Amino acid sequence: MKLNIQNILPTYFEESRKATSQIWGKPLEIHPGEKVHIVAPSGTGKTSLIHFLYRLRTTYTGKISYDDILLNTASHEQLADLRKNNISIILQDMRLFGESTILQNLEIKRQLQPYHPPEKIIEMAKRLGVDHRLEQQAKNCSYGEQQRTAIIRALLQPFDILLMDEPFSHLDNINTQKAMELIVEEAAARNATILYAELEKSPTFPATQLLHL
Amino acid sequence: MSLSFQPIKPLLQTGANKSSRWFSYIGLGIGVLLLLCSVQMFVNIQQLLKEGTIKKEGFDFISISKNITNETMGQPDKNLFSPTEIEDLKKQPFIEDVSPLISNEFRVKFSAGEVLPFSTDMFIESVDNSFIDTLPPSFTWQQGQQIVPVILSSDFFEIYNVFAPGQGLPQMSKETAMGIPVQIICYDPLNQEIKYIGKIAAFSDRIKSVLVPKNFLTWANQQYGNKTSVSSGRIYLKLKDVNNTDFIQYLKLHDFKIKKDATMLGENKLLLQGIFSSLGIFGLLVVVLALLLFSFYLQLVIARSRESLELLLTLGYSPKWLGQKVSKQFVPVYIIIVVSALVVTQIIQYLFHQNIMYNRPELHTMVNWLVILIAFLLVLLSIITNHRLVKKLLNKLY
Repeated sequence: MKLNIQNILPTYFEESRKATSQIWGKPLEIHPGEKVHIVAPSGTGKTSLIHFLYRLRTTYTGKISYDDILLNTASHEQLADLRKNNISIILQDMRLFGESTILQNLEIKRQLQPYHPPEKIIEMAKRLGVDHRLEQQAKNCSYGEQQRTAIIRALLQPFDILLMDEPFSHLDNINTQKAMELIVEEAAARNATILYAELEKSPTFPATQLLHL
Repeated sequence: MSLSFQPIKPLLQTGANKSSRWFSYIGLGIGVLLLLCSVQMFVNIQQLLKEGTIKKEGFDFISISKNITNETMGQPDKNLFSPTEIEDLKKQPFIEDVSPLISNEFRVKFSAGEVLPFSTDMFIESVDNSFIDTLPPSFTWQQGQQIVPVILSSDFFEIYNVFAPGQGLPQMSKETAMGIPVQIICYDPLNQEIKYIGKIAAFSDRIKSVLVPKNFLTWANQQYGNKTSVSSGRIYLKLKDVNNTDFIQYLKLHDFKIKKDATMLGENKLLLQGIFSSLGIFGLLVVVLALLLFSFYLQLVIARSRESLELLLTLGYSPKWLGQKVSKQFVPVYIIIVVSALVVTQIIQYLFHQNIMYNRPELHTMVNWLVILIAFLLVLLSIITNHRLVKKLLNKLY
């Protein structure tokens, strides 16, 4: 799936931002399998960009399209279909069902479009060191554990594009390394594009393109 | 493997505000019950008062006769209606139908035979069947038939029960009277007795007479009477409005005397229909209110589960699937409520038919199909409004 971004800018940003950014106000085409690393300091709109690309927000001008689907005008059902089959996301604020267990959180995502069998949840949880927390309610887990759960959740579905917004902000270097390996491995298996937004350039991400916001 | 709602269900906070939910359930139940009962009662009234049974819909029935004065006394041609006069009555636009009351032109005696020591000279009359308020299917006679069905005026029967004790006769109920055969003794011109068995088939509130099937009396008048043409002293009229000024003027002009028999039933029907229509509308309003209350409850559930539902949509759950599953949660409740109301309506109809209407053949013990149809439509209405609301609320979460 090809991602096409045309001249987008948050409505709450000044036009002058376009001059200094490689994304705001620019035409951009991202092809399957590319690993795009978006690096930007706080307040430059990383989360806004990821939210726009997933259509969590529409407060922007310009156009975003996946193949021939224009995101701004996609129906709710089309959007649900894209999120189920083509676009996966790891959000900075994790967004788990607090009252549900880690396992239930993962199963709710997995059953939607079972790309992996249920055993894969255990396997991934073991790799990221959260297997002992599977039966715990998400609200009782640490941010680090919740973040690793959000990562596993994003990898349980089929996807062509994986959007990541500071996905390791609560992880130490060793856990970051493990999570990154798993993500790259799963993306490669799907020949998927990764769009990874981070404060600083990550030494562990094998980027094919580096963009400053 | 199909997508399961099981892991999603606990994410919906349906436990919130239980009292509001139960109020809406009870309200819906009461509303549906009122509506169904009103429709059933409406149907009952229609069946009780429909054409050919008790009351002719929307018409007044009156009998007219000629004013007998000192001058006309003893002159039957002046006191009876001539065929020309009957034809003229039929031509009037305010008169829907005309039926002369034919009387016996021969001597008739009624006797209770060996059952009761009761015997009296009597008169019999006949009128078109469409004018009879309580017309049982058995009110027919064929030549050669020994049994003659009789429709007796309720007032006459009441009078019998008044004088019976004084005459050493037993007082009796209508049901008993209907079971006792009466001998109808007709006398031919040679004063020879011809006996028939009379059976009371019904009682009439409208016609103050002793009615026998028209074909019997016409035949008997020819057989036992000694007149060539049969005239009538009383005429029954079917009118749209007894208070029509043209009609009143017509009566005055011809010096006809009016005898208003049974407009009361017509007025009662209108009154009853009015009451049950109002009750039905009230029931419908209660249903609407209950659905509104339930929609508030649903909005509350969705508002309280907003975060979970938003996250499910973020994860890629289809709003259509989610909406269907959420609204389906309440379908069994709606079905239970409406079916319960239908069962109660059925019980009420059963008791009404058995205990109040004493199994009248015009009514049915089972609820009318219209009531079942309305119950089905109510379930459908509840499900559709519920589904649309959930869909609308979910789409707002984007």
